[in-house]
Amino acid sequence: MAEGTLAKLARIRGGELSAAENVASALERIQELDRRINSFIELNPNALAEAEAVDRKIKRGERVGKLAGLTIGIKSNINVAGLRATCASRTLQNYVSPYDAEVIKRIRAEDGIIIGMNNMDEFACGSSGETSAFGPTDNPAAPGHIPGGSSSGGAAAIAARLCDLCLGTDTGGSIRNPASHCGIVGLKPTYGLVPRQGLIDLGMSLDQIGPLSADVAGTALLLETIAGRSDNECIMLKVDRVNYSELLREKSLKGMRIGISEKFSELTDPAIMKVIDGQIEKLRDLGAEIVEVDLPNLERGLSAYYLIVSVEFFSGTRKFDGRKYGRRIEDVCGEEVLRRILRGRYISQKEYRGKFYQRALQVRTLVRRELLAAFERVDVIVGPTVPKLPHRLGTKITPMEMYAYDYLTVPANLAGICAGVVNAGRVNGIPVGLQVQGRVLGEPEVLRVMQALEAAG
Amino acid sequence: MGERLREIERSAEEIIQTFLKSTENLPEMKETYYSLEAYNVVRPDGEPSPEEERRKFRERFISIMPRSDEKGNLRVEVAAWLKER
Amino acid sequence: MNIKIGFEVHQQIATRRKMYCNCPTNYQDVPPNTNVCPICTGMPGAKPLPPNQRAVEAAVEIALMLGCRVYTNQTIYIQRKHYDYPDLPSGYQRTSLPLAGGGSLLGVRIREIHLEEDPGQYDPLGGNVDYNRSGIPLVEIVTEPDMKSPEEARNFLRALVRVLEYTGKVRPEAGGAMRADVNISLEGGGRVEVKNVNSIKGAYRALRYEVIRQREKLKRGLGVERETRAFLESQMVTVPMRVKETEEDYRYIPDPDIFPLILDEGWVEKIRERMAEPPHLRESRLISEYKITRAAAEVIVSERELADLYEAVAREVDPKLVAIWFRTRLKKVLNYMKLRAADIKFTPAQLAGLLRMVRDRQLTPEQGELVLRELAKHPAEPEKIIARLGLFPIKREELLPIIARVIEENQKAVEDYRSGKEEAINFLTGKVLQLTGRRADPREITRLLIEKIGKK
Repeated sequence: MAEGTLAKLARIRGGELSAAENVASALERIQELDRRINSFIELNPNALAEAEAVDRKIKRGERVGKLAGLTIGIKSNINVAGLRATCASRTLQNYVSPYDAEVIKRIRAEDGIIIGMNNMDEFACGSSGETSAFGPTDNPAAPGHIPGGSSSGGAAAIAARLCDLCLGTDTGGSIRNPASHCGIVGLKPTYGLVPRQGLIDLGMSLDQIGPLSADVAGTALLLETIAGRSDNECIMLKVDRVNYSELLREKSLKGMRIGISEKFSELTDPAIMKVIDGQIEKLRDLGAEIVEVDLPNLERGLSAYYLIVSVEFFSGTRKFDGRKYGRRIEDVCGEEVLRRILRGRYISQKEYRGKFYQRALQVRTLVRRELLAAFERVDVIVGPTVPKLPHRLGTKITPMEMYAYDYLTVPANLAGICAGVVNAGRVNGIPVGLQVQGRVLGEPEVLRVMQALEAAG
Repeated sequence: MGERLREIERSAEEIIQTFLKSTENLPEMKETYYSLEAYNVVRPDGEPSPEEERRKFRERFISIMPRSDEKGNLRVEVAAWLKER
Repeated sequence: MNIKIGFEVHQQIATRRKMYCNCPTNYQDVPPNTNVCPICTGMPGAKPLPPNQRAVEAAVEIALMLGCRVYTNQTIYIQRKHYDYPDLPSGYQRTSLPLAGGGSLLGVRIREIHLEEDPGQYDPLGGNVDYNRSGIPLVEIVTEPDMKSPEEARNFLRALVRVLEYTGKVRPEAGGAMRADVNISLEGGGRVEVKNVNSIKGAYRALRYEVIRQREKLKRGLGVERETRAFLESQMVTVPMRVKETEEDYRYIPDPDIFPLILDEGWVEKIRERMAEPPHLRESRLISEYKITRAAAEVIVSERELADLYEAVAREVDPKLVAIWFRTRLKKVLNYMKLRAADIKFTPAQLAGLLRMVRDRQLTPEQGELVLRELAKHPAEPEKIIARLGLFPIKREELLPIIARVIEENQKAVEDYRSGKEEAINFLTGKVLQLTGRRADPREITRLLIEKIGKK
């Protein structure tokens, strides 16, 4: 087992490992391995200089931030001033961002070193990591298979230990899906917990930025860096910063009520379910009470999600007209992006609004109501993350087959709740992630369960 | 191109059909537009942003414009309705 | 021929920051693309800040002043109105559902009031885009097609601008602060919408042009199709703007990045309490409260600051005398000096002091006007100005010999008057006035002259 995030952080703060050395070794590994993995689109030319500045602070005995010297990969749909936020699309291929997203400001304020921009599905439209204009990303944990998406590059980079932490984004599973396939940890925060200022839109009412890391401690650390109120946007929860790392000191699951649902096994590959059930037994052994919850309409979320996301994506992409920067999106984008734009344009027409868009928003009400009702009985709900194993890179699958990867992840986005993923084991050598869904602002409980499983091994 | 576009359009509609089928028997409900429920979130009028911040942004903005003039205008096409005249 | 005219008026609201970002709003004073940030230029990933509260409240206030019912306790979404045009950095304009409706002004029904944001400035001929204006808050006022002539439409716009200016919350009408989409239809023809109208004068000209153009087409049996046209100010003509004119589908959706508004009664009441009295209501009140003429009241309410000044002075001196002065001499002085009432520097007490002296005949009205002119230029106590100008009313002992002398020297005019030529008395009064250095009251001179000469 490689060194944990907190152990490495302690070595940097203690002067045992310099931030510059940490950055240099990350750059070396990327140089050596990423030609094959393809998890980074662009590297930050100032990373070393930024690390040296952190080292000087440490040497002078100054206070350093909680991410001091850690290397962080950023999904290419998040603006980092001076780097290209391409969304892995030819539309924004040459768009050098003129500003920092709010989360980037927060990472910089805690002395995290942005190592580069990660590959992804084009405009986060995909669940395989194959739709990038910069080529597909390989799965380091199961070479030759898709890493999942759309935060494909970030998950792969963590799995290959190319950097310490990554920021992904999750609209319908885009953090959790690749975290599951790559055997790492990831978390989609409660909607409104993490500022989206500077995140390029997929579905604005669903998008959240969240962490990807090799261990639960890393996810907690990055989450507490980026989460919490911001006056720089409208749709935010007015909550103060929470020290999630502190809360992780509580190791026991005694008294915790954990929900499971038969719905999950109905929708999921039995081989995957077997691995998940094993983990549920472990949770019982750790002192949790396992409770069956009813989610009768869970699977209706998927198609409703794809309607909602298409309308919002259509709207959000109207700015890509090629006049101010970049190129006109419809002229250069890939098929899935175009498919969503056309679908969004179609169903948002005045005459169809009630039939499609508003109806989909009603299904959202239903799914949300059901999940929130379940959370009156339990603290978290556990189950599989992705209902099937990742396909081999390059396999032709239909759009509907691609969407089917998202059955179990979209409900959390529709309901606005949080959900994390931790590795549960392997099927045919391919990692399988356990999804832990929590209530609104239930991150502490979710992280606690994830940590308990991680510790149990 | 036309063939490909038609195929994309067709596949775009598949999930709409699935949706219609899956919601056939569902009763009418309230729509959920936002994941968070809040209203009247406004901000006070007040001091504008610092000039320095805007100056920096202006430089970067102009540098990524596909076409601009020396005054800092973005250059785009002449309006279609004038071209036709 | 039956003409129907309606407006969608867009007026910029005066705020220091833009609607959804913190850029300053003085867009006319700076080089292109200076007052801009990621939000108002539509950078990838930029999210709006919460709406500017002052703009929201100004829109509600304007609605109240136009007699609208504010839609309280219902969800007012800020919607995205999608269309592709170079001045729209995000490909959509944010526009609220109606905040209020059902008002009226000069008999024109106000259908609804929205809160919007201004697009950037696009020069359609040159192809330049400047986003300095992008995101300035706008209030949109939609009328029913209740106006029947370009003249009536012009009067309505003038009255509307006056109401808007009364709030003190809009940018002064200069350089495109007010813009309008004008719709006009003639009986038997389709509805034509004219965009790009930037002033009251422009609206009037565009309407006149359209009346003639549409009338000609109808006369020749060509029919007028429903379409959107643009007004070209320089050539004073309208030209077709879009070729296909099925109704454009803006694909409205509530902006997922902005929470909706729900105006509660308490909030609206607070705005109502602070709100200025609308000019048309103030006019009626002044007439009944101060017993002044409608003509005077009309002048007085033409500017809010003028009406405020009137009421302050009328409390001190005879309101009717004050009204006459406002309508005539004050208006004249302000016009002459090109001053707006808002620019007046003297105090109500100073003006009241002056008018009191006129009332008490310590000054003639003509002298009073001289003092008023000075007061407007260099505000001071009226007594000081009088001393500086050497204006003091002529004493009777001094005046009588002058009158005698003028009668002596102008026998012809005296005879004329006696033989029935009324205007001869004005000539004699003028002579006396001249010799007194304009210090005597002409009415007093006439009275004394007639006394001396005897009735005709």
